[in-house]
Amino acid sequence: MSELQVAVTLLAFAGVIIAIAFNWLDMALAALLGVSVMLVFGIFTHQEFMNAAQTAGGSLSLLFGGMVVARTLAPTGLFEQVGFLFLRATGGSGKRFLLGLIVLVAPICAFLPNATAVILLAPIIIRVAKALDVDFVGPIVLTAIISNSSGMLTLVGDPATFLVGSSVGITFGHYLMRVSLGGVLAVLVLIPLLPFVMKDVWRIRRVLPAEETRKKLERPGFCLLSLLVLVVMILLFLFGEELPFHLVPPSVSIIGASLALLIIYCSKVEPVDAVVRDVDWKTLVFLACMFLMVEAFTRTGLLQSLSRNLYVWFGTDMLVVAMVLLAGVAAASSVLANIPVVAAMILVVKGYLVAAQFVPEIALGPAFTSWPESTLPVFVAMMFAGTLGGNATLIGASANVVGAGISASHGRPISFGTFARYGVPLTLCQLVMSSLYVIALRWFLS
Amino acid sequence: MRLLINRNSLLLSLMLGALMALFVCGLAKAGDSLEGIKSRGSLRCGVSDGVDGFSVKGPDGHWRGMDVDFCRALSAAVLGDKAKVIFVPLRTSERFPALKSGDIDVLVRNTTWTLEREATLEVLFAGTLYYDGQGFLVPGKSAVTGLSQLDGKTICVIGKTTHEADLKAVFHNRNLHLSALVVESQEKAAQALFAGQCAAFTSESFQLKEVQLKAPGGPAQFTMLPEYISKDAEGPVVRRGDDEWFTIVRWVLFTLIRAEELGITQNNVQSRQGRGSGSSQGLWSDEDGLISRSLQLQPDWKVRALEAVGNYGEMFERNLGEGSPLKLERGMNRLYDRGGLMYSPSF
Repeated sequence: MSELQVAVTLLAFAGVIIAIAFNWLDMALAALLGVSVMLVFGIFTHQEFMNAAQTAGGSLSLLFGGMVVARTLAPTGLFEQVGFLFLRATGGSGKRFLLGLIVLVAPICAFLPNATAVILLAPIIIRVAKALDVDFVGPIVLTAIISNSSGMLTLVGDPATFLVGSSVGITFGHYLMRVSLGGVLAVLVLIPLLPFVMKDVWRIRRVLPAEETRKKLERPGFCLLSLLVLVVMILLFLFGEELPFHLVPPSVSIIGASLALLIIYCSKVEPVDAVVRDVDWKTLVFLACMFLMVEAFTRTGLLQSLSRNLYVWFGTDMLVVAMVLLAGVAAASSVLANIPVVAAMILVVKGYLVAAQFVPEIALGPAFTSWPESTLPVFVAMMFAGTLGGNATLIGASANVVGAGISASHGRPISFGTFARYGVPLTLCQLVMSSLYVIALRWFLS
Repeated sequence: MRLLINRNSLLLSLMLGALMALFVCGLAKAGDSLEGIKSRGSLRCGVSDGVDGFSVKGPDGHWRGMDVDFCRALSAAVLGDKAKVIFVPLRTSERFPALKSGDIDVLVRNTTWTLEREATLEVLFAGTLYYDGQGFLVPGKSAVTGLSQLDGKTICVIGKTTHEADLKAVFHNRNLHLSALVVESQEKAAQALFAGQCAAFTSESFQLKEVQLKAPGGPAQFTMLPEYISKDAEGPVVRRGDDEWFTIVRWVLFTLIRAEELGITQNNVQSRQGRGSGSSQGLWSDEDGLISRSLQLQPDWKVRALEAVGNYGEMFERNLGEGSPLKLERGMNRLYDRGGLMYSPSF
C-alpha cells in the first residue's frame, strides 16, 4: 500500500466506526460506504479482495446456516415451548432469569459457534423477557456477551481461540487443563456485576399466572425433522473435522441450511422464498464489509513490524509482553472482527518469540508444535483478548451484531452507545480477571 | 431487518453466496508481494545489521555490499529505479519473523539455503548469491593447525545459526569434545576471540575474514584453518506461495550471472542490448514483450538491473573481491566454466 492508501484505510475505518457510534448512518450502509471508499482508492487488489472474501466467507456461512435453521424452527412452536419452560424456571424473578440465561447460553456456546447459538436462543430469551414484562435489550446484550465469553471454555468454543490453540498445537485436553478455568472465571466474574449493570431486570419480581398451560407443538412431524437437522448440524460441528473428508464448521452450516430448506420445501409448510427473505441479510452485509475492511487494515503494515518492535520495546520480559498483548488485542478486537486480528497477531507473537530467542526459527512454521510451556501465557493472553475484547462494543463480535439484528426485528434496535453501556464495564472486569489468570498461569508454569 | 429484500436480496444473496463459495472451495491464498511493492512504490529488503562486504550502512548513510546490490538490482528491475529500496537491518533471530510477517518483501541476508528452512518455514530460496563454507579462525600464535587440535577447547559460535548445528554434528561425528561459547553476534564472537575467551571462532569464511581484518595488532595475528566443515549456499529468500515474486527474484539473479557469462557489464549493457540475440544468446529475447508482460515487468527490466549494479562478477569484485577491503577469492563463486559453481539456466 502507498502512504495515501494507508491513510485512506485508517480514515475510512475510523469514519465507519464513528458513523456507527454516533448513529449518523445505518450500520450496513456505513460499512458499505467504507468498503466503497477503499475500492475507489484501489486499496484492494483483485487478489487481496479474493483473500478477504475467503476469510469472510467462513463466518458468513456459519451465520447464514444458523439463520436458516433457526428460521425453519420458528413455525414449529419449539421456541415457545422452551421459552415456557424457561419462564417457569425463573419463577417470575429477574435475578433467576439472568442467572438462568447464563446457565442456558454458556454450555451451548462452549461447543457451538457463538453467533449461531445467539440466533437460536435469542427468540427464546425475548419471549421470556416479554412474559416478565422487562426490556429485552439488556438480556439480549448479555446473551451476546455470555456467548462470546463462553468461547473461552473449550478449544473449539470460539474461532479465535481455536485459531490460536491450533497454531501452537494445543490439544482439547491440554486446553481444558490450562485455559478453561480462565474461561469459567471470565463468565463467573459477570455475575456479581449484574445487579449493578442490569439492575432493572435483576430486581424484577413478577407473579406468573398459575393456570397457564403449555401450548401443544404445531406440526410435530415437521418439528421432528427440523430438530433432526439441528442435531445433525450440532454433531457435525463437534465431530465433522474428524471425518475422513474434514467438514469444517462453515461447511456444516451450509449443509444444515440446505437440509432445513429441503424440509421446508418438501413439507410445504411455507415457501422457501419466505425463509430466505427472512434471513438477516443486512447483518450479513455489514459483517462482510467489516471483514473486508479489517483485511485492508491488516495490509497497512502497521501490525507487521510489531514482532521486532515488541522485542525492542520489552526485551525478553514475556509477562509484560503478555499484558501488552492482552490490552492491545482486546482494544483491537473491540472494534474489529477478532478472527483476522488474531490471525495477524499469531504471526506477530511467534515472530516475537523467535526474535527474543525463546524458540528456534523453525517455530515460525505451521507444523511446529514443540512450544515450551513457558510461552503459553502469551498465547493465552491473546485468546482472552481476542475473545473477550469483542464484548465491549456492538461491532466487536458477530454475535453482538446478530443479537442486535434480532432485537431490532422485535422492535427494539440496539445502538452502539446502548451496547457499550453494558459491554464496556463488563469487558473491563473480564479483562482484569483475565490478566490475573495469565499472571497466575505464568507463575504456575515457571 | 428486512431492509434489503426482493430484488436487492437476490443480488446480496448472490454476492454473499459467492463469498461463502470461495471459503468452501478453499481458494489458495496466493502471495501478492509484487502488487504490494508496486502500489507502495518501494521494495522492502531485509539485510544484515552490518556485515562487511554484504550489507553495511556507511557514515554517509549509504548502504553498500553484495546483498545491498542485489536488492538494488531487484528494485531497478521491478520499479525501474535502484534507489527505491528500503533497507531493513535485521538481527539473525529477526530475519524470518520479518519475512513471514510481511515486514519485508525479500530477505537478502547471507542466509544459508537448507531443506529445514524451506520445509518448515514455508519459504523459498530463489537461488545462490554466494557460496561459502564454515571454517575456523584461530590466533596465529597458537599451535592449532587442524580441527582435531580443538578437541576440548572453547570455540565461539553464533547461536541459532546453521553453524552451531554443524559444529555440534562434526565434533560428535569425529568423537571430539566440544566446548562451545554461543554468542549472539559476530561482533561478540570477535570480542571473545580477541579477549582469549575462545581458542577459535567458527563461521562462514567471509565472516572470519572480516573479523581477521579487524584484529588488534593486524590480520597477521590470526589465521584460518585449512579445513571447512560445511558448504553453505546463501541466497535471497521469499515467502512460499508468492510464485510470481519468486520467479522475478530468481531470474533477476540469473540475469546478473548470465550477463557475466556473456561479458555484459554495467558500462556496455546499453550497447550490447542493441545487438541481436546471437551475441547475447537469448538474454534479451522477449518476443513481443511476452515474458515481461507475464512477469508484470517493464520490457527493459534486465537492462535496468544491470545498469544499476553491473553483472555478478562486478558485484563480487566491488564488494568482496579485489576491489574491496576483504579481498576474498572468488573460489566457488566463479562461473561454472571457470572452475566455479555459478551457473545460469537458459533464458
